[in-house]
Amino acid sequence: MQDEDIEVFIAGARRYFESLGSDFSVLIEPPFLKKDNRPFLELTGMIDISGQAHGAVGFTATRAMLESILKSLNEDWIDQDAASDLAGEIANTLSGNAREEFGSEFKISVPVVLRNQEAAVRFPKENRNYVIPVMWRGEKAYLLVSVQRTR
Amino acid sequence: MKLLIVDDSSVVRRAIERDLESGEITEVDQAATGEEAVRLYAAKQHDVVTLDITMPGMDGLTCLDKIIEINPEARVLIISALRDKSTAIDAVKRGASGFLCKPINPSELKEAFQLLIED
Repeated sequence: MQDEDIEVFIAGARRYFESLGSDFSVLIEPPFLKKDNRPFLELTGMIDISGQAHGAVGFTATRAMLESILKSLNEDWIDQDAASDLAGEIANTLSGNAREEFGSEFKISVPVVLRNQEAAVRFPKENRNYVIPVMWRGEKAYLLVSVQRTR
Repeated sequence: MKLLIVDDSSVVRRAIERDLESGEITEVDQAATGEEAVRLYAAKQHDVVTLDITMPGMDGLTCLDKIIEINPEARVLIISALRDKSTAIDAVKRGASGFLCKPINPSELKEAFQLLIED
């Protein structure tokens, strides 16, 4: 993946948080390359990528941030299961949206949700692993992108 | 009016139900898989179906084919994260009545739903 390819994921993250309403703005901080097992927060929604690219896309967040998002969605079912479901759904949305750039051969799996450092082993070590920090309502989350084009 | 909401995320299913809550809808069913959706649709032939694509087991496009087999006039609104034109075109060719991209914008969803039921 080229550095410019990361733009589609930044645009997707911005679009997602802006869809939650205009009461709170989202700040996408400059992406950086991940060199170790951090950062993985409490819950990580993971999507495996195959087809014209391979790798993984993850959205990792604190439970507090996920609960804030649930409240923004007017959800009254707020517990660990709902937060896990949401982490997977955000990962699905952000990776699916990337097909705008990569096309339909950018195949995405259904989400898997992992806790804390469990997600580390799912990220391919050989790819460039980008981390996109997302600040919203005083909470930080990370979009993790480890995708290698196969052709 | 009967509505069937199909998505593997319960948070999304519940959000769609809240967004579309109105006096016109008298019955709502939810399905987390394509298989469950086909069973429910075969039994009740809902007036409108909202359908995700990426789901475990039977994916949404296969589910769409099965629903159209049951009722070629079925009104199915695809709501998917897959933001590429070819998937949207494919879905419409297979019989979908509309295609919305996630994240869901509630006003766009209501508008698309209104267009479907007026059709």
